[in-house]
Amino acid sequence: MYKAVVIGGSAGSFQVITKILNSLPINFPLPVLLSLHRLKHVRSGFVEALSIKSSIPIVEPYDKENIKPGKGYLAPANYHMYIELNKRIALSTEEPVNHSRPSIDLTFETAAQAYRDKLIGIILSGANRDGANGLKKLKQAGGLAIVQDPNECQVKTMTEASLNLTSVDHIFTTEQIIKFLLNLK
Amino acid sequence: MVLSDQEAQFFVNTIKNTSGYDFSEYSEKSLKRRLQKILIDNNTDLLGLINKLKTNKSFLEKTVRDITVNTTELFRDPQIWQTLRYRILPEFSENRNINIWHAGCSTGQEVYSMMILLNELGLLDKAKIFASDLNTDALEAAKKGNYKYRFNIGYLDNFDKVIKENPYNYEEYNDVPYSKYFKIDKVSDSIQINDFLRQKPIFRQHDLVHGGNLYFAKFDLILCRNVIIYFKYSLQNKVFKLFHDHLYTKGLLVLGMHETMLGEITSQFDKKGQAYQKK
Repeated sequence: MYKAVVIGGSAGSFQVITKILNSLPINFPLPVLLSLHRLKHVRSGFVEALSIKSSIPIVEPYDKENIKPGKGYLAPANYHMYIELNKRIALSTEEPVNHSRPSIDLTFETAAQAYRDKLIGIILSGANRDGANGLKKLKQAGGLAIVQDPNECQVKTMTEASLNLTSVDHIFTTEQIIKFLLNLK
Repeated sequence: MVLSDQEAQFFVNTIKNTSGYDFSEYSEKSLKRRLQKILIDNNTDLLGLINKLKTNKSFLEKTVRDITVNTTELFRDPQIWQTLRYRILPEFSENRNINIWHAGCSTGQEVYSMMILLNELGLLDKAKIFASDLNTDALEAAKKGNYKYRFNIGYLDNFDKVIKENPYNYEEYNDVPYSKYFKIDKVSDSIQINDFLRQKPIFRQHDLVHGGNLYFAKFDLILCRNVIIYFKYSLQNKVFKLFHDHLYTKGLLVLGMHETMLGEITSQFDKKGQAYQKK
C-alpha cells in the first residue's frame, strides 16, 4: 500500500544508511528518497560510496526526473530536493534552511504533499534539528513516521528533536528498520 | 501556513495582469516557498500582498526580485569549469570572436569565473561577454563584483581547483595569485573583482519567459546554470528553443550539474559530457 520511503540523516547516519541500502532486495517495490547532510567538502563521491554498498541503484537525480520504484534518489550536494505532486524530482538552489542544503524538512514536507498517507518517513542519527518539522508534516498528512532509536544513534539530537515534535509510529533500531522495510509488499 | 494551489495561482495572475512578468510556468514548489517567505517577510497575508501589488509599482518590482532565486558561486561545481577549461574553450581558440551569453547570470560570479578562465587561456580579448538576468538588483551586484569574503571562502578552494590545478595532469600547478583577478580584504570582509574584468561584460535585464534575443547576436557558448530548475517542463522547452535559435551551429549550451534536457528538443543537440552542442 505504501508508495515511497523518505529517509533523512546527518552526522552518524552514513553507516546506518549503507546498512539499510545493503539489506534491501534488488526488487524493492518502492522508491527511496534520501536527504542526507554531508560535510561541506564532500561534494562528489558520496553517491558512489552509497552505491557500492547498495543493492538498489542510487542516483543523484536530475531536475524533473521521474521517480521510479526500486531506485534510490540522493539529494545532490548543495541542492534542496523537492518532490512535485506529479512524482517528479525538483531541485532548488535556494538558501539553506536551518543551515542545511539539502534540507531534510523540505524533502519530507514536499514528499508528504505528494504521497500523503502512502509515505514512510525515517529520521536517522544527526547533530541538528533538521527533519523534525518535516516528519511532523509527514505524520499530519497521514504518513507513517519512524525514528531511529536515539540510544543507538551516534548523535541523537535529530531523532530527539523529531520525537519531541511528533508522536511517531515506531522507534526502531537499524535492524528493526531493515526488517520492517523487508516486509513491505 | 501552507498556501493552496489556488492561492499561488491568484498571486501569479495578479502579477501577470499588473505587470509584464509571468510566473505561470515556474515550478510550483519553489514558487510557493518563495511566496510564503515574501508573506512572512512583509508580515502580511495573501490578500494584503495582492492589494499592495496592485497599487504599488515599486513594491511589485521588489516582489518580483524576491521571487527569483539568486544563489551562485565563483566556479560553482569545479569539475564543469575544468571541463570548460581543458575540453571546451580551447576549441574556440582559432575563432576570431567568441560570443558568450550568461542567461540568468544572477550576481555575476559565473560571468567572472568565465572571464578568468578565458584570460588564463589567452582568449579574453576576442571574447564578447553578454550577461542577463530578470532581477535588476542582482544585475547591479554583478556589475559591482563585490562579494562577502567570510561567507564565500569556498570561492578560493574552487579557484585553486580550476585555475591552479590540472585534473588531467597532477604534476601541473599554476601558481596564479588571487590578486590577478580580485582583491581580498578580510577586514572589510570583501572580495572585489578587478576592474579589467568588471568593465567587460554587457549586463542587461532580460526575462527568459518572454524569449527574444536582446543582444541581436549569435553565440558560441550559452551558460544557463541552475535557472531552468525553477521552470516547468513547458517553459524549459521554450527556453531551450530560444537558445537553439541563437547558437551558432556547433555552439554549446552548458546547464547546471543536475539539469538536463528532455523531450523532442534533445534531437537538435549532441550531448558532449556536461554540454549540449547544437547540431
